[in-house]
Amino acid sequence: MEKLIRIDNLHKSYYDGDSELKVLKGLNLDVHKSEILTIMGASGVGKSTLLHLIGTLDRPTEGSIFYEDQDITALSEIELSRFRNNAIGFVFQFHQLLAEFTALENVAMGGYIKYSKYSGSLNGKTQSLREVYEKAEHLLNSVGLSERLTHFPSQLSGGERQRVAIARALINQPKVILADEPTGNIDDKTSEAVLDVLQDINERLNQTFIIVTHDSRISERAKRTVHMVDGKIEE
Amino acid sequence: MKFEWFVASRYLQSRRKQSFISIISIISIVGVSLGVATVILVIAVLDGVEHGLRDRFLANEAHIVLRMIDHSFFGNYQDRIEQITEIDGVVAASPVVYSQMGVFQTGSEGITDTIYIKGIDLTQEEKVTGFSQYVNGSIDFQTSPLIAEAELREQETITGGIVLGSRLAQRHGLTRGDVLRLVVKLVEDPGGFGSPMLLVDFSNFVVIGVYESELAVYDNRIGFIDYKTAQKLYSQVGKVNVLLVRLEDAETVSELSPVIEETAFSFMEMPITTTWLETHSALFAALKMEKMATVIIEALIILVAAFNIASTLIMTVMEKTRDVGTLRTLGATRGNIMRIFIIQGSVIGMLGTIAGTVLGLGLCWLLSTNILRPSPWIAIAVIGILILCQTIITFRRLIPTSKALKIGMVFFWTLTVCFVLYCLVKPISLKELGFSEIYQMNQLPIRVNWFFVGFINLLSFLICWLATIYPAWQASNLNPIEALQYE
Ligand SMILES: Nc1ncnc2c1ncn2[C@@H]1O[C@H](COP(=O)(O)OP(=O)(O)OP(=O)(O)O)[C@@H](O)[C@H]1O
Ligand SMILES: [Mg+2]
Repeated sequence: MEKLIRIDNLHKSYYDGDSELKVLKGLNLDVHKSEILTIMGASGVGKSTLLHLIGTLDRPTEGSIFYEDQDITALSEIELSRFRNNAIGFVFQFHQLLAEFTALENVAMGGYIKYSKYSGSLNGKTQSLREVYEKAEHLLNSVGLSERLTHFPSQLSGGERQRVAIARALINQPKVILADEPTGNIDDKTSEAVLDVLQDINERLNQTFIIVTHDSRISERAKRTVHMVDGKIEE
Repeated sequence: MKFEWFVASRYLQSRRKQSFISIISIISIVGVSLGVATVILVIAVLDGVEHGLRDRFLANEAHIVLRMIDHSFFGNYQDRIEQITEIDGVVAASPVVYSQMGVFQTGSEGITDTIYIKGIDLTQEEKVTGFSQYVNGSIDFQTSPLIAEAELREQETITGGIVLGSRLAQRHGLTRGDVLRLVVKLVEDPGGFGSPMLLVDFSNFVVIGVYESELAVYDNRIGFIDYKTAQKLYSQVGKVNVLLVRLEDAETVSELSPVIEETAFSFMEMPITTTWLETHSALFAALKMEKMATVIIEALIILVAAFNIASTLIMTVMEKTRDVGTLRTLGATRGNIMRIFIIQGSVIGMLGTIAGTVLGLGLCWLLSTNILRPSPWIAIAVIGILILCQTIITFRRLIPTSKALKIGMVFFWTLTVCFVLYCLVKPISLKELGFSEIYQMNQLPIRVNWFFVGFINLLSFLICWLATIYPAWQASNLNPIEALQYE
């Protein structure tokens, strides 16, 4: 199977004055293209920390993360922003939608940033703002929210918000979608619907997912599940 | 539209969608605009006062007064005048017999007032001060028919005609054709036995015209007669005690007055010149200081408004911390985040500055334009009805839905405020307030200095822009992970 991400001897420590808290201790992990990988583990073991490092929101203390042989830990701040815009989609436990913007605008935001900041080329093809909105509308359709385009987050249910968040993560056709407990804040029935959407996208678009979860139903649907113990991966 | 503008403009708008722009933005905008409007208005008034006074001084006075240090008379003045007018930059000079005389009131048998009497040479004086344009009535000091009429009526010898300052005439109840008895000088009683008693030397003048300069100092205390008459009264035939000089450019007095003094040394013992700037130096200095103080105070007002913007932004940044985290995960750079908040603050600053400029200039226009206004009651009625409507709309929650409707409402309210101001604000009459004595003007003068308006606009915008830097920098420096988890 083709490798998308290779994590090599990853260390992450937090410092509080003189005391050092070692969270990741030489973690190694490979992620394959088009797979759904779930990461499980005890609370506080460092799952979110790992996801933030993969998502370039933070830098490791030691070790490297390769995306298709490109070491992202060597990128500059600006390059990281561009990388996040282009290659990564995030879904969080709390939807993190922007309250002032409609569902459609929330989904389009990443494309808008790409359009105005990174001259908007998508796979070498420049896209207009209208194309961004058309794409956003299409994505909302595909997560079953075609009737909710102009609704604000406060007018949506928890499950709907999470589906908007998933659609938002997809706008720039990222290499990978990182989800941190995407069903952690919604009830079981709604969770199922959200998971259906995730699985559907994975099958239709061959999107790669890394999902951190406590929810065993997710790992059942996943192609691969790894466990984190004491700052390392146990397969 | 860059996405920074897209996000910033949304943050400026109201969350509840009731109005077109959020209350907190409006408060910040009003803060800035009040500062800008007051500074424009106050400086326009101070500038108006200064220029009003300047213009009046320059219209009524000679630019330079030349005399001997002891006020003594000198002859041969026609040659002197020629000598002085030959100096580069001098336009004209005129001879004057300058003196003080007492007003003798027949009823009270005593001197009731002292006035300044300028004995002038009409043709020359005209070139120096443009005397005739401020006179109502006649300026023929010798030949006015009023003189013969009065002589016939009063059965007394009349020395000549006099043009009196308007307020002075009013104070003594004199109108054209009336006789004014002046005490020219006091003489010792020649027949007395060494007694200290003094006799008074009277002269009768007929009021032939009224002098109205709108400068209270003159209108209150001055009278004009023919200089030949004055020479005779003081037994100084062929002599004068003052020369008045007019320059091409009134601002060159400080360069030209030493030159004139130099020339005068050839025919005067201790010549001394007084320029119009020196005469009023205390006044101009006071005005300048007042202006400076105003600018400082107004800059402080704008600074307060800027702090208002800064605190608005800091609040927005706190409120939007999670948004900042989200935008960063979506690929926004620190620079993008910083720009979003700078744009937000700058738009507030710019709208406030523009609104303030429009308001300030509008008030200046209203305060300086004498046209018939609708009754203030109409304004009060209009605003009453509107507040009533707005209250009903607000309480019944008839919230406007479309953007056009919201903009329409803002537009409507702006129009109403303009109309009400139009009804209520008119030129302030200093005469009615009883201040015209102090300020020597009848109406509060307004003079818009466009250079200063531009300067204040730039200053205000700069201050507002600077106020955005810290909050914006703070937002851009948020750690995205912490921002995402911010409660
Ligand atoms: N910014 C930070 N500063 C200091 N310590 C931190 C910081 N972020 C996380 N930690 C610590 O690192 C450890 C791992 O945290 P992390 O959030 O990755 O755990 P997690 O596996 O996601 O747990 P959970 O399942 O409860 O979400 C915890 O002990 C946490 O206290
Ligand atoms: Mg976690």
